[in-house]
Amino acid sequence: MPRLLDVCGLTKRYGGLVAVNDMSFSIAPGEILGLIGPNGSGKSTVMKLIMGIEKPNAGVVKIEGVDVAGWPSHRIARQGVGIVFQHSRPLHRQTVLENIKLALLPDSLTQLVAASHIDDRAHAIAKRVGLGAVTQRRPGTLPFADLRRLELARAIARDPKIVLVDEPFAGLTAGEVRDFSELIASFRHDGHAVLLVDHNVKGIAALVDRAIAMYLGEFVAGGTAQEVLTNETVRRVYIGGRIETAARPPRDTAASDRLLDVQDLSVFYGKAQALEDVSLHVGAGEFVSVVGLNGAGKTTLFNAISGLVPSQGSIAFDATNLAGRTAAQIARGGIVQCPESRELFGDMSVRENLDLGGQHLPRAKSAAQLEWLLELFPILKSRHSQAARTLSGGEQQMLAIARALMMQPRLLILDEPTLGLAPVILEQLSRALEKLRQTTDITILLGEQNVTFALPHADRVYVLEHGRFVWEGDPQRFAAEAGDAYLS
Amino acid sequence: MKAFAIPLLVAALLALLPLGVGGYVLGLLTLAYYFGVFAMSWDLLFGFAGEVNFGPSFLIGLGAYSAGLLNHSFHLPIWICVIAGAFTAVVGGVLLAVPALRLSGPYFGLITLVAVLLLQNAIVLFAGITGGEIGLDIPDIISIDDSTNYWVALGFMTVSGMILFGLSRSSVGLILQASGQDAIQAGALGFNVTKHKLAAFCVSALFSGLAGAMLIFYMGTASPGTVVEIGVGVQVIIAAVLGGRRTILGAALGAIFLIVAGELLRPLGQLSTFVVSAVALLVILFFPGGFLGTALHRGEG
Amino acid sequence: MQFLQILIDGFAISSLYGLGAIGFTLIFGVSGVLNLSHGAIMVSAAVVAWAVAGSLNAGPYLGALAGVAASVVIAFATYLLVVRPIQTSRRIPREEKEIFVLTGTLLWGIMLQEAIAYFFTSNPKTVRPLIAGVVNIIGVRTPNQEILTAVLSWLVIGALWLLVNRTRQGKTLLAASINPRGLTLLGFELSSIYLFVWGLYGLLAGIAGVLLGAFLGVSSDNVGTLTASAFSIVVLGGLGSVSGSLLGAYVVGYLETITAYVISPSIRTIPVLLLLVLVVYLRPQGLLGRR
Repeated sequence: MPRLLDVCGLTKRYGGLVAVNDMSFSIAPGEILGLIGPNGSGKSTVMKLIMGIEKPNAGVVKIEGVDVAGWPSHRIARQGVGIVFQHSRPLHRQTVLENIKLALLPDSLTQLVAASHIDDRAHAIAKRVGLGAVTQRRPGTLPFADLRRLELARAIARDPKIVLVDEPFAGLTAGEVRDFSELIASFRHDGHAVLLVDHNVKGIAALVDRAIAMYLGEFVAGGTAQEVLTNETVRRVYIGGRIETAARPPRDTAASDRLLDVQDLSVFYGKAQALEDVSLHVGAGEFVSVVGLNGAGKTTLFNAISGLVPSQGSIAFDATNLAGRTAAQIARGGIVQCPESRELFGDMSVRENLDLGGQHLPRAKSAAQLEWLLELFPILKSRHSQAARTLSGGEQQMLAIARALMMQPRLLILDEPTLGLAPVILEQLSRALEKLRQTTDITILLGEQNVTFALPHADRVYVLEHGRFVWEGDPQRFAAEAGDAYLS
Repeated sequence: MKAFAIPLLVAALLALLPLGVGGYVLGLLTLAYYFGVFAMSWDLLFGFAGEVNFGPSFLIGLGAYSAGLLNHSFHLPIWICVIAGAFTAVVGGVLLAVPALRLSGPYFGLITLVAVLLLQNAIVLFAGITGGEIGLDIPDIISIDDSTNYWVALGFMTVSGMILFGLSRSSVGLILQASGQDAIQAGALGFNVTKHKLAAFCVSALFSGLAGAMLIFYMGTASPGTVVEIGVGVQVIIAAVLGGRRTILGAALGAIFLIVAGELLRPLGQLSTFVVSAVALLVILFFPGGFLGTALHRGEG
Repeated sequence: MQFLQILIDGFAISSLYGLGAIGFTLIFGVSGVLNLSHGAIMVSAAVVAWAVAGSLNAGPYLGALAGVAASVVIAFATYLLVVRPIQTSRRIPREEKEIFVLTGTLLWGIMLQEAIAYFFTSNPKTVRPLIAGVVNIIGVRTPNQEILTAVLSWLVIGALWLLVNRTRQGKTLLAASINPRGLTLLGFELSSIYLFVWGLYGLLAGIAGVLLGAFLGVSSDNVGTLTASAFSIVVLGGLGSVSGSLLGAYVVGYLETITAYVISPSIRTIPVLLLLVLVVYLRPQGLLGRR
């Protein structure tokens, strides 16, 4: 069967960083392929390379035999590729119908009035995606799911041979997910093909014919959705290997012990709901892990606690409600976050980064704290005066944690510290955390996709999925109850 | 086509003014109408293509001076000079835009500013031909009669306005808007964004140059202080933002408001510019949609 | 002989340009704002210094102090009344904030310019020199004020370097220009940092303005050219790079001086403009820019 999309040896480098390395795959007409991977795996870059938004350094992208690699995106679009971006950006001052009509216009400078059939076609497309009733409304008045439908409408307007969809179900309710799945599935009946890109294998497993898993820019596994889900390498990359827990001394967490108490927390990004009525508590001295795949909402949860995003519900720290506090106040008050992006000062040295962390302390205390941290993370000592951005991934992570610890936090929030790190670094990190727990009374809230890392230290575990907690309990029970359901 | 009705009605009413109003007011409004075309051309570029031109007086000046020089040195008839002026402005605009569109944000703005300064310096440098800072004497003028000048200006503004407004509402205008708002998305929908922005620049240059040329044939002189000043360019920007960006017609309103207000505030002397700038600043802070934009506000979401 | 004159004059004017440009770059690097009212703030400082020294008969030193103080006040006003309201406005879409800030500072600059012209007329004013007299440098008669300009400029630049690289506050500023979010996570209130940087900017622009007023004299007509100069220097050197601004200042200062002496003073800005166009097209990040 002739292939609709043929990708061969696709490579993209950003300076020294290889984002995509020698990716090859193909899609046949009528097929739905899922491209999955965690943050930083290169899946979004592959999509952008196909669409021409980025130019590849090497490789071939053939659409029905025509190599479009390196073409500007508008030419690739006219060649028969459509894309649904992750974030909806319609023209706000135009109606839904006009937004769809835009997608049907020819790339002409002189055609001032749209051809008559465009109007009918726009209506037909609107009906097909379920927007038939709201064609005269403006995007600002529509609910989130309809905005996503509009994006889909614009992508399929000119009947492209291939549709690329980035995170098709993010922010949708279960019912909306079903509708969307049907819409996407209907596309294959016309002999067209779909490439879905997502973090979550589980979410798109039902929809795809085949799946490909990526990690750090490279192909990891391919096959049917089931095969990829159960693939050893994929499981290791996603959840870190076999789930092992050490016996932990039972802790009695009386309600009065709650250092952090979050009740009915909800967060909205525009119309999309990222967290839904989430409640969690962390006792003083406890180590709590929140596990969940990328996109589940861990970062949103932590950002809400740190005051970086607005939220509804209540967040209490040490029995005081945090509402109305600025993010900097919350950090000075004892909750320090080490985010997934680390947010280091790249051009400044290791020493300077750490010093900034200790700026709120009197000089003597800051110096002592620095000493102690350099003992805890000896590798930072040797890289003392190096610029932060010249450190390796693992070293940067340790610097980020050390810098956060310079503030002597009572609650340390760690968001995905293991992302993109080699196993030997994970070992070091794990040991550092252990030592931290043994020598101080620090409380830790950890968010991780890598269950193998998250479990051994934890006193309690929460499982976050699509913005909601679906399980809570201690690590022993997790392996027995939630472990299998986690990926599949 | 409903949207054209009200502006045309207003234009028709304005055409009746010379029957009851004196030469002084007519002269003021004539100036304002030419200014209106400057501002509307600017809005096409900014409000739709999303490119901020900090030196519209570059295009205006090119049109004005090329038309003026042809008339002054070669005594060519007005209408040939005006067309030549517009053409020169378009060529100048393309030469500026092709490389400039590769630049982002502040750099594009800087280049447009530099273009004005370079033109200014060139005029002063070649003062022998151009009359330097004192200006160029234009032998031919459109008319001595205030009413005739008024109607010519009004007619010109109305026709230009209808064309520019029509463009903004057309399919091409829609593509332009998409290009300005989200170039990546527009590219993914199959539109060559650079091509469209360049075209917008040309249209803007055409009307700016045309208006600049016509202006000097109304005033009878051309000098850097009136058509190539950065200050003039700033006034154009203020007019468009005051009137309401992305409305085209709002820009004309803003221009008329500015010229009339500047005149009414003349008794204040030096402070008149201060007051106008202050008002413009307040409008930016509290009514970023401008007069027309705020009036037509329709829950953009 | 003329060569020495060019060397000395060029050095003095470049040092002054450098001081002004550093302030401009600082605001861009930390606050993200291209302040188009820069020239107006400098001229305000000079005019206040002139007014206090002359009309109020307080002498040049008090005048200079008053000028710098006025500059700090105006800088704060620029941030609190114009820049911050636009940056935090909910009515302006995020993509357009930069353009609105640019236009806002432009308008504010015009307001300042007109106010100066109104209260003090647009006649050029020369601030009475802090050190009178002339000195002979290898045959070139140089006003003491000119030497003072260069020396003071470099003292201030040196002090700034010490501040940024050796003090805690300075390191915070540097960090803010690299990663403001990182600072928030470490418990720093960005709003205080921004206030500090605008105050610092006011100080720098004020000193530069007063020195300029004593060296060359100022009038409200200079406002646009000063802003354009600073803007050009900073783009030439690299937006956000302090050392780049210094380098750019010397390139521009010397280019202008050479043109003025060798060809004609009236077209001294042309080579600079042409150079700027070249740089923007060939190397848009500037000579030492990193972004």
